[in-house]
Amino acid sequence: MPGNIKSVSFVVLVCLLLCSRLTSVGAAPICTNAQTGCHVLSLSNLFDRVIQHSARMHGISNDLHSEFEQYFLPSRNQVGRVSRNCHTSTILTPNGKENAQRMAREELTEVILKLLVAWRDPLWHFHHSMAHYDDFNNFSSNKALEMSDMVHELRKGVEKVAEKMQGLGITSNTVNSLTSPEALLPSKSAEWRQMKDYDLLYCFRRDSNKVQNYLKILKCRIVPEHGC
Amino acid sequence: MDYLIYHKLMMSRLFFSAHGGTICPTMRRGIRVALFLLLSAAVESNSMSPPGKPVLLGCRSPEKETFTCWWEPGSDGGLPTTYHLYYERERLEGTYECPDYRSAGRNSCFFDKNHTSIWVDYCLTVMATNALGNATSDPFKMDVMEIVKPDAPENLTLLMEKSEYSPYLHARWEPPSNTDTKSGWVTIKYELRVQQENGIKWKEYTSGTQTHFSLHNVSPGVLYTVQVRCKLDHGSWSEWSNNTYVKIPNYLPNEVPLWILVSILSAIPFITTVCILVAKRKSVKLCVLPPVPGPKIRGVDAQLLKSGGPEDIDNALIVNQRFPPMVAWKDQTEEYLIVTENDGGLPTNSQKRKKSLIIPTAFHLDLEIHCKESTPSQNDWEKSEEINNELDTPIKPFTNSSYVDIQRHVENIQAVDVKQVDYSTVKEVNGENVLIFKKDNVPLRSSGYMDVQEQEHIQKDYSRVKKVESDNLVVLQKQIVSLDTHCREKGYHFTDCPLQNPIKPHVCTELIDSGYVDTTPAPPSM
Repeated sequence: MPGNIKSVSFVVLVCLLLCSRLTSVGAAPICTNAQTGCHVLSLSNLFDRVIQHSARMHGISNDLHSEFEQYFLPSRNQVGRVSRNCHTSTILTPNGKENAQRMAREELTEVILKLLVAWRDPLWHFHHSMAHYDDFNNFSSNKALEMSDMVHELRKGVEKVAEKMQGLGITSNTVNSLTSPEALLPSKSAEWRQMKDYDLLYCFRRDSNKVQNYLKILKCRIVPEHGC
Repeated sequence: MDYLIYHKLMMSRLFFSAHGGTICPTMRRGIRVALFLLLSAAVESNSMSPPGKPVLLGCRSPEKETFTCWWEPGSDGGLPTTYHLYYERERLEGTYECPDYRSAGRNSCFFDKNHTSIWVDYCLTVMATNALGNATSDPFKMDVMEIVKPDAPENLTLLMEKSEYSPYLHARWEPPSNTDTKSGWVTIKYELRVQQENGIKWKEYTSGTQTHFSLHNVSPGVLYTVQVRCKLDHGSWSEWSNNTYVKIPNYLPNEVPLWILVSILSAIPFITTVCILVAKRKSVKLCVLPPVPGPKIRGVDAQLLKSGGPEDIDNALIVNQRFPPMVAWKDQTEEYLIVTENDGGLPTNSQKRKKSLIIPTAFHLDLEIHCKESTPSQNDWEKSEEINNELDTPIKPFTNSSYVDIQRHVENIQAVDVKQVDYSTVKEVNGENVLIFKKDNVPLRSSGYMDVQEQEHIQKDYSRVKKVESDNLVVLQKQIVSLDTHCREKGYHFTDCPLQNPIKPHVCTELIDSGYVDTTPAPPSM
């Protein structure tokens, strides 16, 4: 028994050491300004990455939506009224190029963040409900999961961009984008649970397109050097 | 309505046919036309109806800022009909009418920037109205995001560019003029396609967001057709641009004359070499294919053979006319036998020695043994015998006349091809290595050996010394050896070796004893 205890304690010690190593690596701060040997990303670079990310996200949502249409064939012109109510419709978003260009940078950034935050839970829920559809193959299920992850990643990316913009003095500190995400949620956040999956997809397809366009507008306004 | 007209026409036709061909053709045609007009007028005035249902064909936004919708009118019911488009919009209360019926042509509605909202649903309907009534199309729902389809790219220009390796086609174009690329609102992607003249298949290339493209896969003298199209973000592809043609000029690349020059320059030394080889072909032949020495018979004068008469032939073939008498050999044999008995140590030698006698004199003559004893004498023999007795080695100088006991090494001798060979080939003179002696000087009968005339020369056909086992013993190979060399090595002249130094003879003798083999073996009969 004492031998056993010794070996166990040894293993535990080793594990602790390793874990502490790993966590220390993970907790190491990513470059603060111009640390030696550290590659600091420019704002333009950050924007490019974020825009690429959003483009991919919208592409996936587009694919999933057309697949849903194929399977469930909802009549495009059913119920003549435009009664579609996305849960994000309470968020005021510019619905044209001029409106988006007229909006202040901070506001636009906030709108983007609000949108992304609002979709975190519904997409996660959607991914789980995909399992109920026997017609869907695993590929679509993977897409749903990917979409859900991407929203999360994109939000973090946009937050970093906002941070950097604030650091560079491009945006003022009036809007503190580092406030808790829950504060950004629309008031009627529980509504999304009542939405059908198809409507959810439709709404998300639209919102992801919005995010992509807004990011591009922002980028070409702030750092217009490359690819505008 | 149409059926009525048709019915009337059929009736009129029947009416005419019933009357047969009594009316001439032109007149008949004219009557027919008049009838038709009357009928149609009658029909028109008889039935008018409310308009048919129009159909909304679709909408399109070329730049994601404005959009246009088209419809297909139904039948107008015989009355002037007007069309109105009404729409409802998400998040906008009320029904509105199309702001612009003209800009986009007939049966269309154009929504300008002020009236366009992206990411909102529109619900459109078209109503056809005439004096008798109206008809409404089915509602058409759309979001501007979904109907984006740009115009084709403009000003496609093709240029031939010359690079170091091969010419290529450089295509350049511009984005459609109504799209806004500066503000980042839309990202345009392009696609190119190329077709050869008289070809059927198009080859497509993706250009990404570049407004130019290089085609390297072009053949000279061929006419190419190039088209380009574009897409905004995730929207639909535009139509292909108009055909643009380019003919690749025939060209002679710069490398061709260079290669000609290089090939000529490299050919010159080659030709030179060939000429030299041809000129000196004899020496080349000599070098590459050295002449193989033909078979040579020692002592045979080939020239004499060729040119001479019968006597000459005889002379040529037989160098030494004087054959040693067989009797002498026999005597030798007897004497020899006696000797071997005294020795006692060599029981088998008798036979062997006999055999040795078979060996032609020439064989003996070749041996340097003769150097040892110039005159055969019993004394010598005895001496040799004495010496022989003193020796421990089995090899003994057995010959009083210094003939060779070849049997010492039976194997060697037996291996020798005992053919009848002209033993008199010894006469051959060949430099220092040739043992020259004349037949005259070989008193075989007396001693069974031949005198060595010019002993400094050794037959070059001697056996090779294999090894020197001891002072007394030299082992020879069956092959040709220059016995001379051995003797030379010992440092004494060939001629001197036999008499002056009692030991030396042993050496030479042993040399011989140990199986020196002449390449001209004795005939077995002898």
